[in-house]
Amino acid sequence: MEKFVKAFPSKPLTWPRGKQWALAGVVGSGNLEVLFERNPKTTDQMDCHVESSIPGYKDSWLAALGDFASNYPVGGTKVTIHDQGADPIVVTFRLRQAYDHLLKKTT
Amino acid sequence: MSCSNLFHEQTARQRIASLVDPGSFTEFLPPPARVMSPYLPQLDIPVSFDDGIVIGRAKLGGTPLYLAAQVGQFVGGAVGEVHGAKLTGIIKASARDSIPCVFIAESGGVRLHEGSSGEIAISEAMRAVFECRAKRVPTIAVIGADIGAYGGMGILSTCCDFRIMTEHGRLGISGPIVIEKWMGKQAYDSSNRALVWKTSGGKTKFLLGDADLLADDDAASVGAAIKKLLSKSAPLTIKSVKARQQELEKRLKTFGKTTDPDAIWKVLGIKNVAEASLATATEFTALAKRK
Amino acid sequence: MSPAPKDTRRRNKAERMRRVGKLASGKFVSAKSVPEVLKLIIETGDILCLEGDNQKQADFLANQLATLTKKDLRDIHLVMSCLTLPAHIELFKKGLISQVDFCYAGPQGQAVAQLLADGKFPLGAIHTYNEIYARYYVDLTPRVALIAAVQADRQGNLYLAANTEDTPAIVEPTAFSDGIVFAQVNEIVDKLPRIDIPADQVDLIVEAPYPMHLTALFTRDPAAITDVQILMAMIALRGIYQKYEVQSLNHGVGFNTAAIELLLPTYGEQLGLKGKICKYWMVNPLPTMIPAIESGWVEGVFSVGGEVGMERYTAARSDIFYTGRDGSFHSNRAMGQLAGHYGVDMFIGATLQIDVNGNSSTVSKKRITGFGGAPNMGCQPMGRRHPTKAWLQAGAESNPGPGSIPGRKLVVQLAETFQSGRVPTFVEELDAQDPAIKKALHGVAPVMIYGDDVTHVVTEEGIANLMACRTIEERRAAIRGVAGYTPVGLKRKRSETRELRSRGIIQLPEDLGVSPSDVSRSLLAAQDIKGLVRWSGGLYDPPAQFVDW
Repeated sequence: MEKFVKAFPSKPLTWPRGKQWALAGVVGSGNLEVLFERNPKTTDQMDCHVESSIPGYKDSWLAALGDFASNYPVGGTKVTIHDQGADPIVVTFRLRQAYDHLLKKTT
Repeated sequence: MSCSNLFHEQTARQRIASLVDPGSFTEFLPPPARVMSPYLPQLDIPVSFDDGIVIGRAKLGGTPLYLAAQVGQFVGGAVGEVHGAKLTGIIKASARDSIPCVFIAESGGVRLHEGSSGEIAISEAMRAVFECRAKRVPTIAVIGADIGAYGGMGILSTCCDFRIMTEHGRLGISGPIVIEKWMGKQAYDSSNRALVWKTSGGKTKFLLGDADLLADDDAASVGAAIKKLLSKSAPLTIKSVKARQQELEKRLKTFGKTTDPDAIWKVLGIKNVAEASLATATEFTALAKRK
Repeated sequence: MSPAPKDTRRRNKAERMRRVGKLASGKFVSAKSVPEVLKLIIETGDILCLEGDNQKQADFLANQLATLTKKDLRDIHLVMSCLTLPAHIELFKKGLISQVDFCYAGPQGQAVAQLLADGKFPLGAIHTYNEIYARYYVDLTPRVALIAAVQADRQGNLYLAANTEDTPAIVEPTAFSDGIVFAQVNEIVDKLPRIDIPADQVDLIVEAPYPMHLTALFTRDPAAITDVQILMAMIALRGIYQKYEVQSLNHGVGFNTAAIELLLPTYGEQLGLKGKICKYWMVNPLPTMIPAIESGWVEGVFSVGGEVGMERYTAARSDIFYTGRDGSFHSNRAMGQLAGHYGVDMFIGATLQIDVNGNSSTVSKKRITGFGGAPNMGCQPMGRRHPTKAWLQAGAESNPGPGSIPGRKLVVQLAETFQSGRVPTFVEELDAQDPAIKKALHGVAPVMIYGDDVTHVVTEEGIANLMACRTIEERRAAIRGVAGYTPVGLKRKRSETRELRSRGIIQLPEDLGVSPSDVSRSLLAAQDIKGLVRWSGGLYDPPAQFVDW
């Protein structure tokens, strides 16, 4: 198990009314779950907490998370990920889905 | 044109969202609560925010119900201590509040990593189901995923008033691989998918009467089936248990020596097995004409 | 002094057939006499062609051949398409083969790599299909060909059914050069449904004790198509199919192209592309084509081989598929490869490894698979002269010089940035460039498709238009730009990617109007094998391993 915490600069997220969290994905082989929550301590960074069952891919994690934080305004969020060996594209997919759930009334 | 999402491919949360009245679902112990397995980290196995089961309250066609949905992708939907407590809790809430209980099963059984806590949880959940049944509060198991309902979850499902299955769902106690291991590949080849589904799949279970309704592999069809049963309950009496016992004895006598599952379909009234295999739930129900 | 006789082959063939003598009754020999017959008709130093195609195998004859020893058979120059069976490998282990020329070694790729490492694989060259068929007429003409057919009649005519595959390409050069054609058949009948090979070109026939080996190689279960593959399919449909209005094409056989086929009646229909793209196909009868065919997208399909379970469907759709007078499906690998080379505007297929220059390969250090047919189609046909819209549009983008061909075939590589097990698809150098492999292949690295031939690379990150790149540095930057989080991708410079994107050389999904949140398996016209059977109206009979009902 590889665990790390890292903050990435990002433009502030305008929180939709009534939403406190959003979840996407499931923990299963080649998949992950990601939870977006409010982080009242900051408005201009995305705080990431990652637990991955497959160690040794921190570089690509950091690159994928950093790209996401620079492509979308997600400042002021705490992002927690439970990973079971998802490919980087699945990471991007789930982040994007959770972000969509947060902004829209999707589930 | 676009097809609908297949129920058997949806995640637990997607299933709930596509089944219940929009916006009506309130989750209990939601992900931010982080009520997770204390055991899995010790074994270096990843945890999940919901420990593989989503529970809460919702409405279906305006009728309130308590709902549980297992996450088959997470350790095979296996029932651990937290998972089992959530399941038992929602069934107990049904009994307490006299609100129908629906659980969407997707589980190979108990979570062996957590010792006997899963076994204990299943027996507690069974007890809760019987509390509901004593009060005539409907309990419904929905089985519509490839993982099916096996082991403890197979037993729990059969304790309920009703079972709704799709052709993708499977119901049993021992899984195919376990049966093959004990009986030999000659007796049961677990890699023969057609054989596995013909013996434990939704259509066969519906023909045998183990499933009460057959639904198509989409949330709308499953939802319609749940609505049909929400106001009903099946009495649990000495008489009904004895009748069931006789039914099973008769089944053993009729089919005990049958090796070809198609033959069972034929005896149960299916003339054209190939056609029936491809039939929709409605078509199949018409072909079966049971009862 | 009289000149040397110029009909020695003809006389030698007569001598070989005379040796068989009473072992044959007319053209027919018994199954148990086959090892003896093989000893009598094959001579030391012969070029021997063993029919091993992509799907069907003359496996009974191969197995009998593998029972022979060095006492019976020596110094054989083996020529064949596909080394597929354990019996093929056995011939090398026994040291019967002095040279081998072949195309592909799918399931035996590891065994071939091992034989090479052990010095037991005297390789001539690895070919593409049409390349080896061409050499059958030049310097690799078989003296004996061991082939497979479904049925023979009493005169010795052969019926090949759906899987014609390589048979005519093997029989013609052999039969017309006084070689011996020896066929195994599943059964001997009084009347054939149709004649595929005339008796005149067949010398010996045996009714094999078991039906020939036939693999359902191209059945892709839609249930296994992932969200990522659907995303890539949407990217490709908008960025390539729609952009160039591709009407004639060849598809690979992976899940990526299966996803595209299954999106045509749904996503493609939404885009209004029906009738504008994907009308003429050079592809096997892929079950995942059924929904597009049933929805009226497809005008015609020509195939290099058949597919198990598609017999009744193809027979019932004779407007779409080539069928014989008997009504059943017909294929031909040599002609199909020719059609795929000259006749179509696009080749699109998946690959296992791409280097930073755009070269791709399926070879790894432990697995030598070879080429098959992909390079015949995944290349620029420099002899092409007929124009089409797609060909000219691609040609204009590639900025031809005064001495170059005005059009260009679209050669598209679909590549998820990672293979299973987090193995990166994009690498700085191909495994195929390994010095030991190159040495074994006489200095030529086994590159499947060369970067110069590739026009586009499509990944889940976007499209890199390689033909629009003006320098090799630009091409490398374009490839890094879509290589995601692989080591090759992580080396990209943001400023370069931005510049290439502004010129349309790199296109991200959002540039094409594709959003990851639109991706859903519900877009697939059929989501499982049962769905395909339902689309076919019950005419598709999937092989048992795909049936779960």
